[in-house]
Amino acid sequence: MKIFQQNTEFDYSWEEVSTSNWRKYGPWNESCKHVIAVDTLSRTVDPSTGILRTERLITCKQSAPKWVLSLLGGQDTSLVYETSYVDPSQRSVTLCSMNMTWSDLLNVRETCIYSPSSSDPGKKTKFQQRAEVTALCGGWAKIKNKLEEVTVERFQQNAAKGREGFEMVLEMSRRAFQEQKSPILREARI
Amino acid sequence: MSASLAPECNEVKERYDNCFLKWYSEKFLRGTATTDECDPLFKQYEKCLSVREPISLVRPTHHHQKVLKERGIDKMVKEAREDNRENDAEHMKPVSVPSSPS
Repeated sequence: MKIFQQNTEFDYSWEEVSTSNWRKYGPWNESCKHVIAVDTLSRTVDPSTGILRTERLITCKQSAPKWVLSLLGGQDTSLVYETSYVDPSQRSVTLCSMNMTWSDLLNVRETCIYSPSSSDPGKKTKFQQRAEVTALCGGWAKIKNKLEEVTVERFQQNAAKGREGFEMVLEMSRRAFQEQKSPILREARI
Repeated sequence: MSASLAPECNEVKERYDNCFLKWYSEKFLRGTATTDECDPLFKQYEKCLSVREPISLVRPTHHHQKVLKERGIDKMVKEAREDNRENDAEHMKPVSVPSSPS
């Protein structure tokens, strides 16, 4: 198993970040063209905890190296299953994702948490990302190791792009909501 | 907003997504959400993806979804749901200690 993790901060309030999170893969994000569809499968609010649980199916265009694609059967799209939990009282968003495609060969589990920054909880948001990558294909340890390595490298490359893309969405959302004068975001910025 | 994996559902999906986003930012985050007013739109969106089967009132999201079924995705979702139980248990649990202002 190999692990990728990073912690970073966004200069936006938790309310803005958690709202923009739903738009992360939309047209405002120039850096995630590999995400071709996002479908919501279910959405419920737990009456006892107030936690919003959402299940989504994320369809991605493959960009893995050719040797990995051939090893994994040559499909050009892959599917990710994501569940997210928003706890408005604790002000936290937790996103848990796993790969559905190639799950017999590779297990990728990612957890991302957005919560108010301890340095400036009203204006900044902390982002914690952790991914565990385990190759499951039997036999050759070298191949397994390489497959895990390539996947973790992909996470590293995507982390910078992901941040850049999400920054664009945050900025566009702020502008759009300023125009709409959404009360929650207006208050959140005071 | 992002597209649907079923292009014929893009329009209803966009209407639902917009409704949800408004509800989320204006009501849910403010703690004033009493009902999910976007549910009728969600049902339409779900129906677009789904076979015309009576929707179970108990577990409305577990009926077979057409596009998903055609592509064998429904089985994969089922497996993913099973694999995700630990996450549900961890992240849906009630907060035992009341939050204190920090």
